[in-house]
Amino acid sequence: MTTAAAAPTPRRPLRDRLSALIYVVPGVGWLALFFAVPLVIVLIVSFGTKDATGHVSLAHPGLQNYLRAGRPEYVPAFLNSLRYAGITTILSILIGYPIAYWISRYGGRRKILLLILVMLPFWTSYLIRTYAWMIILRDNGVLNGILQSVGLISDPIPFLNTDFSVILGMTYGFLPFAILPLYVSIDRMDDNLVQAARDLYASGRQAFLHVTLPITMPGIVAAALLTFIPAIGDYVTPDLLGGAQTTTIAKVVQVVFQSGRDWPYGSALGFLLMVLTLVGTFAALRTLRRETLGGG
Amino acid sequence: MSTDHDGSSLDLERILVRYLAENRLTRRQLLRRISIVGATAAVAPIIAACATGGASAAPSISTPVPAAPSSSDAGAAAETASPTATPEPTPQPTPEGELYVYNWTQYIGDTTVKDFQDKYGIKVTYDFFDTADTQLTKIRSDGKGGGYDVTYPASTDIPGLVRDGVVAALDLSMISNAKNLGTEWANPGYDPNNAHSMPYMWWTTGFVWDPDKIKEDLTDWTALWDERYKGHMSMLDDVREVFAAAAFRLGLSPNTTSDTDLDAMLQLLEQQKPLLRTYTANDIADFTGGQVWLTHAWSGDWGQMLSDKPKTKYVIPESGAVRGSDTMVVLSGAQHPVAANLWIDFNLDAKVSAANTNVTYYMGPNAAALPLIDPTISGDPRINPASATLDKLVELLELGPDLDKYTQRWNALKA
Amino acid sequence: MTRERNPWLTALAALTFVFLFAPIVVLIIFSFNVSRRNFVWLGFTLDWYPKLFANVQLLDALSVTLRVAVIAIIGATILGSLLGLGLARLRFRGSGAAETLILLPMITPEIIIGISLLIFFGQLFRQNGSIGQIGIAHITFCISYVAIIVRARALSLDPRLEEAARDLGASALGSFRHVTLPLIAPAIGAGAMLTFALSFDDLIITSFNAGPGSSTLPIYIYSSIKFGVTPQINAISTIIVAVVALALFVAWRLGAFRPDERRVVADDAT
Repeated sequence: MTTAAAAPTPRRPLRDRLSALIYVVPGVGWLALFFAVPLVIVLIVSFGTKDATGHVSLAHPGLQNYLRAGRPEYVPAFLNSLRYAGITTILSILIGYPIAYWISRYGGRRKILLLILVMLPFWTSYLIRTYAWMIILRDNGVLNGILQSVGLISDPIPFLNTDFSVILGMTYGFLPFAILPLYVSIDRMDDNLVQAARDLYASGRQAFLHVTLPITMPGIVAAALLTFIPAIGDYVTPDLLGGAQTTTIAKVVQVVFQSGRDWPYGSALGFLLMVLTLVGTFAALRTLRRETLGGG
Repeated sequence: MSTDHDGSSLDLERILVRYLAENRLTRRQLLRRISIVGATAAVAPIIAACATGGASAAPSISTPVPAAPSSSDAGAAAETASPTATPEPTPQPTPEGELYVYNWTQYIGDTTVKDFQDKYGIKVTYDFFDTADTQLTKIRSDGKGGGYDVTYPASTDIPGLVRDGVVAALDLSMISNAKNLGTEWANPGYDPNNAHSMPYMWWTTGFVWDPDKIKEDLTDWTALWDERYKGHMSMLDDVREVFAAAAFRLGLSPNTTSDTDLDAMLQLLEQQKPLLRTYTANDIADFTGGQVWLTHAWSGDWGQMLSDKPKTKYVIPESGAVRGSDTMVVLSGAQHPVAANLWIDFNLDAKVSAANTNVTYYMGPNAAALPLIDPTISGDPRINPASATLDKLVELLELGPDLDKYTQRWNALKA
Repeated sequence: MTRERNPWLTALAALTFVFLFAPIVVLIIFSFNVSRRNFVWLGFTLDWYPKLFANVQLLDALSVTLRVAVIAIIGATILGSLLGLGLARLRFRGSGAAETLILLPMITPEIIIGISLLIFFGQLFRQNGSIGQIGIAHITFCISYVAIIVRARALSLDPRLEEAARDLGASALGSFRHVTLPLIAPAIGAGAMLTFALSFDDLIITSFNAGPGSSTLPIYIYSSIKFGVTPQINAISTIIVAVVALALFVAWRLGAFRPDERRVVADDAT
């Protein structure tokens, strides 16, 4: 077990440090130019106003857009986003962990093949997969058809355009982001540790709870972040699989930007969403790092 | 990186001159605009003003640009100036070798693009948008069309696009097929004399239902508020259309900008929201998928639904409904304006127009095409209503900044 | 191996595979549907496959998508790998800031990245969107993923390996090429694959940066969902799945993933 924090960091010669700096410069420069600068422009725009012709005006900069964003009518959309992203994250780990564990422990020589198989669906377009879910879930769709033909239900169950379908679509879409890091952390775990626990008469469950789970926690954290972050900013899934009651805050941002053509307001809402994600992410990272690495 | 737009001074000057001529901007107004950051429409003139010292910026100049040489670079200059200038005896200009068209997918005849390419030897690059919002964001991003030559905005958007200099004046001398237009389309209210746009397709907005699920004959908007169909109804994901439905129920104008009216409409829509399955951008798919029995729909979409659900019914509600149209325009930044005008002319050809209608189920404005259209489409009074019915319908008007009153309430409704 | 196998876990894994493949099976079946709008099963046909190869717009969109993906893979893999390696080796004062800068693109809502690049290119450089512009946008949001994967891998390496090579007389470049690079190669490969998947699928950022002649496959599909996606799109997706599956299987059989099976796949983000 050599984790990042525990790795020895011997003093490096200056030359090595300089060469490392050369590695970093192109990437940081790229992100500064094509990410940070445009983002700053949007930040500036978020303090502006929209003038009568729909153009951005910075004549009276202020916080008015941020104040407007706090209005109560957007609370449901913010809550929807948080709820969908939260449930999606939990489900992705609950589904991803067993399959990752199964591949890593039972896969034998076919491990990589199985992993490829798990990832295969994600090499087709996300939209077309979502569209396939629409075909499965709609009222006269595949799932209702099966349920009706075996006599479980008489009237179709409305799966589509509900919270259920949105969460299902998101979980399906973001599952690979969970499976990969889970697999890596489980696969890297030393089998002998579990074996040792069993030798000391720990039950299977105890061994899992007290050995496997803590050791693979970094993978779980990574999986959670990689699922939660894209999920909270998603509006395509709610657009396609959702309905009248499933608006997310990202959708509101899109409508403000595009239908309303109110770039300052849309920018402000977008930044709020970003800050929310950022705070959540760093809070989660800090807590989990403390817990799993014991301050190491 | 693309270098397809090099912003040559010739190009900028042309834009500035037309911009000033069409908008009657004074230099003082221009200077005021310079203070506005991000005013995309103003950027080009500003740069041009700097480059040329503003000397050529007198509004009286009407840019008598000679007809185009064939090179695509100078081809941009081929566009004639404002249509109010005395018509020049232009020889038919040589079209450029390329054309960039921006439209909905599947909103055109199956072979229209190929037929155009074969006839003129012009390579057509056809791009598509998913919503009108995406389209407008894109063509307004640089204030002159985002690099496209031709696009298809709704007529409602035309006055704003003309005012902001996003669309160019048409070269009517090249669009001889404009004679095919029905008389009611020759001088539409949104664009006097079709100076900047040609109508493409038109429709009515009503609702469709599945008679297998809903036995009674529906006639009015109240059906979309009927508790019995809870969870099986959809409204279009279109702010103006949704508020229009509420306006008709309340006997108000769908173009109202009164806050009291709008609040009443919003209240009615808030009552409706829990009954709805979706605010749909995919009305055809939702309806034919079976989960929606009753949906707010455009007449052409109903035509397309019939191919999967032949019994589907459509009604133009009796308390009032919207009629609308899409247009074809040449964008002001078009690099291939001659080809663009030819494209519009081509689509107004009776045969081409009929072929477009036969695929999309939307009626064109083309009187000459009428005999060539599939009679099950043109003969259906719900797709092609009698003029007496049409006269009672309302067109949505451009609201300018007051549109905010709608979008704010729309966001509140949906969130 | 002496471990007993838990049959419940195997059942759960089987169920997960059903969940993962159900939409793919439906997608493939519906590529043979007669209905043009493809929402109701109207009958079996093979027509859509030949028609697909006559659909210039769809093929153009696919070609644009692939070209963008190649740009994104080259750019993001090179920049991201260097960045990840550098950050792993470097523990300088500003490294916290650099790490935050890496995380930020992943946390930023896609629509904000899309709009900001639209304003950036449109207002500052007067660009209308193009394949190159989409490529730059994709590189920008993929760098972070590659950097994080490579950094995690590099951190788990024993720094003494490279030092040993140096002690044995290898040059800096030589020890990098013969020691470090082979060791982090799996992470770079994983980063490249992830970049491909992200780029191939992206809709929101792409649609803001697309311009004349650069509509990608996701834009095409999203734009057709309104009218119902034609089975041609299912057909093209079926072909893509088949090609990818075949390529990966062949690679697996040829042993491309063998040499160090345990570490071939992506490293995690912590």
